[in-house]
Amino acid sequence: MTHFDAAGSAAHASLSAPQSIARFVGRGETFWRLLSCGAVLLMFTLGIYRFWLTTDVRRYLWSNTELVGESFEYTGTAYELLLGFLIALALLLPLYAAFFLLTLAPNNIWSLLGLLILILLGHYAFYRARRYRLTRTIYRGVRFHQTGSAILYSVCAVLWWALIVLSVGLAYPFAQSQLERFKMRHTFFGNLPGRFEGSGWHLLVRGLPLWAFTVVPLAIGTVAAMLAIDWNAINTASRADIPGTRTEASGFANIDVIIALTGAWLLGSIAFLYPVFHAIMLRWWVSGLRFGDVAVRSHLRIARVFGIYARFFGYAILFTAIAGVLLVAGAFGLSKLAGAPSSMRGEIITTVLSLGAYAAMALGYWTIYQATVKLGVWRYVVESLEVSNLAVLEGVAAAGEAASPIGEGLADALNVGGSGI
Amino acid sequence: MSAPNIDSSTVHGRGIFFDGVTTARHDVVVELAPRTLHVHGVDGSVLAQWSYDELETLSSPEDVLRLGRAGNAVLSRLEIKDPQLAAAIDERSLPVDRTGRIERWLRAKVIFWSIAATASLILVAVVAMPLIATRLTPLIPYAIERRLGAAIDAQTRMSLNEGNRSGVPLDCGSAEKEQAGRVAFEKLIRQMEMAAGLPLPLKATVMRKPEANAITLPGGHIYIYEGLVGAARTPDEFAGVIAHEFGHVAHRDGTRKIVQDAGLALLFGMLLGDFIGGGAVVVAAKTLLRTSYSREVEAAADGYAVVLMTKIGGDQRALATILSRIAGGTHAEPKILVDHPETNDRVVAIEAMASSTPRRPLLTQTEWAALKTICAEQ
Repeated sequence: MTHFDAAGSAAHASLSAPQSIARFVGRGETFWRLLSCGAVLLMFTLGIYRFWLTTDVRRYLWSNTELVGESFEYTGTAYELLLGFLIALALLLPLYAAFFLLTLAPNNIWSLLGLLILILLGHYAFYRARRYRLTRTIYRGVRFHQTGSAILYSVCAVLWWALIVLSVGLAYPFAQSQLERFKMRHTFFGNLPGRFEGSGWHLLVRGLPLWAFTVVPLAIGTVAAMLAIDWNAINTASRADIPGTRTEASGFANIDVIIALTGAWLLGSIAFLYPVFHAIMLRWWVSGLRFGDVAVRSHLRIARVFGIYARFFGYAILFTAIAGVLLVAGAFGLSKLAGAPSSMRGEIITTVLSLGAYAAMALGYWTIYQATVKLGVWRYVVESLEVSNLAVLEGVAAAGEAASPIGEGLADALNVGGSGI
Repeated sequence: MSAPNIDSSTVHGRGIFFDGVTTARHDVVVELAPRTLHVHGVDGSVLAQWSYDELETLSSPEDVLRLGRAGNAVLSRLEIKDPQLAAAIDERSLPVDRTGRIERWLRAKVIFWSIAATASLILVAVVAMPLIATRLTPLIPYAIERRLGAAIDAQTRMSLNEGNRSGVPLDCGSAEKEQAGRVAFEKLIRQMEMAAGLPLPLKATVMRKPEANAITLPGGHIYIYEGLVGAARTPDEFAGVIAHEFGHVAHRDGTRKIVQDAGLALLFGMLLGDFIGGGAVVVAAKTLLRTSYSREVEAAADGYAVVLMTKIGGDQRALATILSRIAGGTHAEPKILVDHPETNDRVVAIEAMASSTPRRPLLTQTEWAALKTICAEQ
């Protein structure tokens, strides 16, 4: 035996040693580096680089996620995403042109119809993008895949969202559970069929306090604002000659106060409650996933998700402070350099630089968000997993084929999160 | 790379193999033969024989080399943790990219060409787009421009009328006490329209808006705001501003702006997508670019106004007079973001174009006084 064998058996021993069922082995610095280089390139390519960055991010997340000692694999490529985008462009451009012409028509029904078509297309794209991502996800040499009609899904999704709006959000848990059932019913790992067992009622009970904290004050605020307007006063005042009396008599001043209070309450509660909402959703969703006899449970705790968001806010505040100092210094330096600020040339330079600064700020926050919240939540979801009946995973047969990237392209062109993870 | 300089004798090592047919995991012995890589089960059975040229590196955790067969529909995978064995395979196979060097080279090319594409896109937007719009606009039939104008007219009126709860119509000149003003206004417009000989019927109207401004839409729609009627001291000043708007109609600037906007939206909006807040940058860049085009457009309309004022026997310098008076009140905005070029430059240019030509009054004293009351109803 050569020296290779000795090293090989050592590696082998470490592989077969008992390990935690699911873990994330990626290093945070690698991800930070990936994202910050990506952000700079996004800026200088006006976004063309996104296909490569998205692929890099997915490769990193997939391949560092381990289940029973074996890591996942993402086989999608940036060229596929680019192709999908080009196909989507070819399909959507004539559609956009048609919408542009229709909105010029005096009839507003056409614009509404156009909007509906775009929303339907968005859900359609989401479903097809999910298919692409699943068929590029490999575990132990076997790929995931998804069947089912994307058109049917988009119709269902639009109807559910209409119901959510009509029920002031109360239908949301049921919409989520039904749409997730649709998705998982058509999801397979090899020949192992998936399904979803999360209950809408369960989610409703967990989410009801959140709903009460946000939607109820919003409703009360709206009603109060409506009541505060003295409609009779408006009618009389509108005939008065002095315009000032109109606003005073009709109680518009009170409305400002009510709107401001409602808005402040909503902003404050959303900042605090969004992490809670995110945690509840994740735990509910993960715990409902099934593949054949393989069942998943999540032990995710709200406090930890809160911590992840707190980390994001910490970094964001730090970044804002540093960027603020740099901006002030830059503006000062520029005013010295540019000399006459009134000159056309100076103005163009200033405008271009401010645009650049704006883009850099936006990309900075995006990078921080991805590296703290996205990665943190991903890592935590993986680490808080409990999987039962793992033996089933040993004998799954391969099935399904790689799907076209058109869904990703459509989702990207329609800005419905196709470029996300 | 098949490297004859290293020890070409067979090398062994351990790995994990998935055959791509089931998820069953095979602990295997990897044997590096001169031209092929052999994968044996622990019982000695041959699980795979891959030639070095068809190997493919796949995404994996940092300490694992994951290999597959390029272009193979069956997703068989060989995973090697042993760094020495991984290095030995890398040395024998050209496509295996353990250190990511090939990937980095490809990526550098992508980055270079993306940046080049971006630069040329910006160049096209700044230099070629105005030229394209200028060439394209004359090809659009007037019938289409008029339909476009009618639609935009309806939309603009709706947005201008927003918040108007008084019940007084937006257009001045319909009420009883505004009739005389409207007659005078129409007389002035008729004179100018006869002299101008525009290719489409003009629809000029005074609107109840306090700003001293006038705008032109495609299809010959000119809105003159009430504030301008107040700000004009002579009929010639008033006519000068309208003559400038006539210039926009004659040059089809509204239509050209639509063509340009559509082109820019296509270039930046669709092609580049909206990764994160990129949309806002695109909107800002569009405003910036549009503003830089609009300087020439305004100068051309000023030139037209001087010629038209000469034809009707008006004061060619009156436009310059009223411009400098209106601009004197408001100079705080950054000049790049307002639609009109620096007023001083415009005033100087108009003065330079003007010459002394025969003059005649455009309106009588009575008519001018009546025109001033065209928005009397409040």
